[in-house]
Amino acid sequence: MKRIEVKLSLPIVAPLLDVMKTATDTLRQALAAPLALHDLDAEWRETWTQELLEAQNAELQAFLGLFDQEFFATGIVSFDEDNAEIILRACTALRLRLRITALQALPDAALEEGNIDPEQLSAAQRNAFMCYLFLATIQELIIKHLDAILLGEADEETPAED
Amino acid sequence: MTETRTHTAPRTETELEIGARWRVVVLNDPVNLMSYVVLVFRRVLGFNEAKARQHMLEVHERGRSVVWTGLREGAEAYVYSLQQWHLTAVLEPDETH
Repeated sequence: MKRIEVKLSLPIVAPLLDVMKTATDTLRQALAAPLALHDLDAEWRETWTQELLEAQNAELQAFLGLFDQEFFATGIVSFDEDNAEIILRACTALRLRLRITALQALPDAALEEGNIDPEQLSAAQRNAFMCYLFLATIQELIIKHLDAILLGEADEETPAED
Repeated sequence: MTETRTHTAPRTETELEIGARWRVVVLNDPVNLMSYVVLVFRRVLGFNEAKARQHMLEVHERGRSVVWTGLREGAEAYVYSLQQWHLTAVLEPDETH
């Protein structure tokens, strides 16, 4: 099984955990990307929403579970085919949430281009922004190294050359 | 891996007989990484890398991209799957047919 381990700096990541937990709490009853289908039958819409919420909450709990006692002992988190997908989705949910909460005042273009000076932000905004970047880094790592697994291509063999 | 389930609203026979076609439209957001959107398009819609990238760029530059067209039931299933990945998608009638 392909697996990647990432050693993180505890002094940098530890303060971000509070930001992630707060964002997670606000997502218990709210979809990170609200349903935009407005012509769904009301009962069916409720069913969809509840199922998506359950999945989202499971993803977020799995993500926070990475930062357990072992993490605080070693600074290491690991990703493999069992958790890559849910961690990717959890990172997305948290980034979407941070965007409309702590980072709401920042312009889209500046965020997209990373053209933001952290020193100009309030302490709360700075932590949220660092968290936003940290989550993106986790996503990039997973996509770069576990792309084949996520696309179900992990078992494909490279054709032998004659 | 993603659970395979049916996520389409119950339809009456009349609705099914009409055979109206619907477009699945993915809307832009300023948050998701380009590489993430490409991955989701490949994973959910079965696009190859080039096609996924083309649609991702369309979303990024034009704010929306039609990623699938077909019967309502199938369209709803794709919207649900895209929502599972936290992408925003809507349905609109395909009036070209």
